[in-house]
Amino acid sequence: MTGTIAGGWEFIWAAYIITWLALAGYAASLFWRGKEP
Amino acid sequence: MQRALNLGLPALAVLTVAVGGYVGLAVAPPDRDMNDVARIMYVHVPAAWMSLMAFMVTLVASIVYLMREKTKADAVAEASAEVGVFFGFLLVVLGSVWARPTWGVWWTWDPRLTTVTVTLLAFCGYLALRRFVEDAERRATWAAVAAIVAAAGVPLIWFSVQWWGGMHQLQSTPETVARPMATALRINAFGFLFFYLWFLRLRYQIALRRQAADLAEPPPKGGAP
Repeated sequence: MTGTIAGGWEFIWAAYIITWLALAGYAASLFWRGKEP
Repeated sequence: MQRALNLGLPALAVLTVAVGGYVGLAVAPPDRDMNDVARIMYVHVPAAWMSLMAFMVTLVASIVYLMREKTKADAVAEASAEVGVFFGFLLVVLGSVWARPTWGVWWTWDPRLTTVTVTLLAFCGYLALRRFVEDAERRATWAAVAAIVAAAGVPLIWFSVQWWGGMHQLQSTPETVARPMATALRINAFGFLFFYLWFLRLRYQIALRRQAADLAEPPPKGGAP
C-alpha cells in the first residue's frame, strides 16, 4: 500500500449506521415472526 | 431464567455494541496506512466471525441430527444458518463500504470475497431447500447433508488469503495492532456474540414452533361437531 488514506468518515459512518440498522431490523423481524400464530 | 434471558441478553448486546462503537470511533487510534477508515474493521470483522461461527454451529447441529435424529438439533441448525446468513450479508456490505476508500472499488472477485460469496449462496440454498421439502423428516435429513456441503466453504474462507493471496489483507493478531484497537475489536466481538446468541434463541423458538405445527394433526373436515 502506498500513501495514507485521507478522510473517509462518510464511509465509517455509513458502515456503523448500516450495522445498527441491520441489527435492529433483524431483531424486529425475529420478534414479529415469533409473534405470528 | 427465561425472563432474565429475554431481557438481559438483548440489553447486554445493545450496551456492549454501544460501548464498542464508542471505543472504535473515538478512542482507538487511526491506522498507519488506512487512517480512520480502519475503524470499519471493528464492525466488519465481528460480523465475519459471527457468520463463520454460526455456519459451524449449523454444521455440528446437522451432524448431531444425522447421528441421533434429534429434532431440536435440526431446529438449532436451521436457526443458526439463518442468523449466519444475516451476519454474512452484513459482512459483505460492510466489506464493500470498506473496499471503496481502500481498494478504490466496491467489489472485486478476490479469493476471500469469492469464497465468502459462494458459501453465503450455499447457505441461502440450504434455507431455500428447507422451504421446498414438505415432509419434515426428509427435509431435516436433506438439509443436514446440504449444511455439511455448504460448511466446506468455511475453511476455504478462513485460509483463502494464505492459500491464494489477493487484495484482502491477512488476519491481524493482537501483537500486530495497538492495544486500543484490539480492545475495540474485542468489545464489539462480544457485543456481536451476544446479538448472535439472542437472535439464535429467537429463531430457534420459531423453528421449534414450526416443527410442532408440522407434527400437529390436520383439523377435522366438516368443522366443529
